[in-house]
Amino acid sequence: MSSTKPELEKYYKLGEEHGVPIYVDRDTVYITTPREKLVDIASKLFNEYQCTFRTCVGTDERPINGFFSLTHIFTDDKSGLYVLVKTYLESDDPRVPSIVSVVPGADWCEMEARDLLGIEFTGRQQYRLVLPPEWPNNVYPLRKEVPYNYRPPVRGVSERVTTTVETGVVPIGPYHPALHEPEYFELYVEGERVVDVNYRGFHVHRGIEKLGESRMTYQQVNFLAERICGICGFEHSTCYALAVEKASKLEVPERAQFIRSIVLEVERLHSHLLLLGVAFHLLGYDTGFMHTWRIREKIMYIAELLTGSRKTYGINLIGGVRKDINEEKKLKVLETIRELEREFKSFIETALSVPQVKRRLTGTGVLPKEYAVKLSVEGPVARASGINRDARRDLPYAAYKYASFKVPVYTEGDNMSRILVRVDEIFESISIIEQLLDKIPKGPIMLDKYEIPEGRVGVQVVEAPRGGDVHFVITGRGKPYRWRVRAPTYSNIPALKVMLKGQPLADAPITIASIDPCFSCTDRILVIRSDSRREWIRLAGVGI
Amino acid sequence: MSFIKRALRPVEVIIVAARVGRATIKYPFEEPLISPDFRGKIEIDPTKCIGCGACVNACPPNALEMIESEDKKTLRYFVGRCIFCWRCIDVCPVGAIKGTREFELATNDVLDLFDFIIHSKTRCNTCGKTTSETTRMQKFVLERAPIAEVYSSKCPECRKNSLIRAVAMRKVGLYE
Amino acid sequence: MSKALERIKRSIWVFHLNTGSCNACDIEILDALTPYHDAERFGVKLVATPRHADVLLLTGPITLESLPKVINAIEATPRPRIIIALGSCGSGGGIWHDTYSTIGGVNGLLKILKERGVEVDAVYYVPGCPIRPEALLYAVALIKGIVSKKREAKMHKVE
Repeated sequence: MSSTKPELEKYYKLGEEHGVPIYVDRDTVYITTPREKLVDIASKLFNEYQCTFRTCVGTDERPINGFFSLTHIFTDDKSGLYVLVKTYLESDDPRVPSIVSVVPGADWCEMEARDLLGIEFTGRQQYRLVLPPEWPNNVYPLRKEVPYNYRPPVRGVSERVTTTVETGVVPIGPYHPALHEPEYFELYVEGERVVDVNYRGFHVHRGIEKLGESRMTYQQVNFLAERICGICGFEHSTCYALAVEKASKLEVPERAQFIRSIVLEVERLHSHLLLLGVAFHLLGYDTGFMHTWRIREKIMYIAELLTGSRKTYGINLIGGVRKDINEEKKLKVLETIRELEREFKSFIETALSVPQVKRRLTGTGVLPKEYAVKLSVEGPVARASGINRDARRDLPYAAYKYASFKVPVYTEGDNMSRILVRVDEIFESISIIEQLLDKIPKGPIMLDKYEIPEGRVGVQVVEAPRGGDVHFVITGRGKPYRWRVRAPTYSNIPALKVMLKGQPLADAPITIASIDPCFSCTDRILVIRSDSRREWIRLAGVGI
Repeated sequence: MSFIKRALRPVEVIIVAARVGRATIKYPFEEPLISPDFRGKIEIDPTKCIGCGACVNACPPNALEMIESEDKKTLRYFVGRCIFCWRCIDVCPVGAIKGTREFELATNDVLDLFDFIIHSKTRCNTCGKTTSETTRMQKFVLERAPIAEVYSSKCPECRKNSLIRAVAMRKVGLYE
Repeated sequence: MSKALERIKRSIWVFHLNTGSCNACDIEILDALTPYHDAERFGVKLVATPRHADVLLLTGPITLESLPKVINAIEATPRPRIIIALGSCGSGGGIWHDTYSTIGGVNGLLKILKERGVEVDAVYYVPGCPIRPEALLYAVALIKGIVSKKREAKMHKVE
């Protein structure tokens, strides 16, 4: 038994009560349950043990054992444990009860499993999410018999999304100057107030999970994972490498883990400065936009010095990193970071005291705490509504156990507190980089020999600038057998419905931008469209 | 007094701007600021490449491709699809690929973005068909693992047949 | 038409069209407008609708879901229109040039446009992943005629 014996006791008790087998391996608890007991176990984990729900994964395991399987991933933040609940389904009748009544945040990932694999969920309303409209009905891309480069004939004719002409409808998107990415929001207004939101997205679905299982080898998937998102790409690649190393039980050299943590913090700095600039631009304060991005250029130069490219760094491999830090680079990094801290501090106090910024941000787009807990939101959105959760402190990975930092938590839940959480995190990141550069040990940066066995499971959560990012890997021969990615924006978008209700229309763009949406992380899988009736188009990050 | 001070707070940004001055670098009339580690386009040295295809296996977006025809093997590098990761440089066994810092690659004709290196294949001296080895690849292998001359210039089929004949002659006493 | 092409080279108004990219190239487009690189020296302005634009900046491999909207946006741009295909995704399809959900970059799109009878006057390719802001400024300078092309195909035969 490990030193967390009291925490594991309650899981063994849970297994005895319901009669299901429990297996513990380092920091992961595996529970295998038949489908009748699934809702009870999920309810107990979510309500009584206060676990956080992350995502659910469907797998086609018919070549191995003749069944489909569905795995729900929870994390127990107070004890630092991952809890996986697995159910097996018959291959000719894949039905499973839905847990949406107990855990409302599981809505989208279940629909994703349905679209990409054909698993039916009983006890809830089902709809199409991720695939495009011309997609044929019985072709499920993630099943093993469908090839990854199957292309249906393309039509290229666009269809109207809404057919109702009622109260006023204001469409925003898909190509709109306020947004960088194609997504389509429909805001239903009465006078000036927003009464409902309809979202249709998944324009960015590119088929990443299927590609990672077919054409790529283990080392090539690192580069693919980095291009899931251009702003937070390095943490996707680190999370994948950590998940595979955990599944194969490899001991990565300490110096490589330190380098990974330093580059992760550099990425967090650039992402938060980017968002502050975009938020100022949407409020009409263009001076703030120009100055913030001018300060950000220093970070891009540091990233290029450390890794070789301004973005999509490409230094991660399974077993270590590809580039080293020498004395000269370390001194240059420290000098630039201190200069940046001085400039940013003198600028941000001025910027946040401008009347239009202060008054437009305070009190708008409020997300109360009980909705934040039920919808399982992530990252600065959760920390601004009073939830004290950060994966760097609760489930420590890479070299974060050697650094000490504070986690900022605010309780109002409006746009201003989301911006203030990010400003505080910038100062904390600067302090973490200085501490880690001070303590970095000597040694190799890459493993010489490593072996990746087949059939092992690895789960890892990494704290991205936008929240917690989950990667789930089942290893195969030469390439992963199943790879699932759940990006943080996936959980934050359903919270927009609560935030935008009752707000004046003029505050809609800044509210949408304040959750820092990154649609390319969310749309990895197919975009599914529903029929022409007006339904909720959910984003399903199906990766199954 | 404090009301005026508070109202003038936002104007302090003029002081910040005056301290910075002009921050623009006037590219293309001045040199841009690029760090020495920047990853640009790759250069394949045609005098060293042996045509083995290790870089083709390692390239994630298939920018390097091997096109085989009857008596030629062509290595094609498509700059348009390259992601500048430099994995090909890591895995090349003879060090024929070099990285540069070039990024000024814009053009209006897509055919400008291809580089070709054409190798010829070896011919078997018994049956006359071409194998899938290139002449340089054969020399590379022979330097490191000397094989008897009578086998090294045959294709795998003929090599197998002549080995079976040699073993048969020795063990069974076949004289044909 | 060629006289109209000469006239728009004075000051180029661009429209940013994201067809499903990872956003790295899009952030670098915004970065080209910030004080450090300053694209406005060349008269470049980011406009809000394709009806005002001369040049379309296309990023991303074109996904099946966004294909009809891209065609609408291209048809809405008045002639003469130029497309700049940015990055590895735009020029050649990128790392997902053959998955089930994409067309494969601007080459596949030009075939579909030809079938529908939509003409594009010039197409420029800018490789990179992501592109540097200086590479985008180089392409704009190439359109205006300030610099000349540096890249040409190489072929070498080994005996």
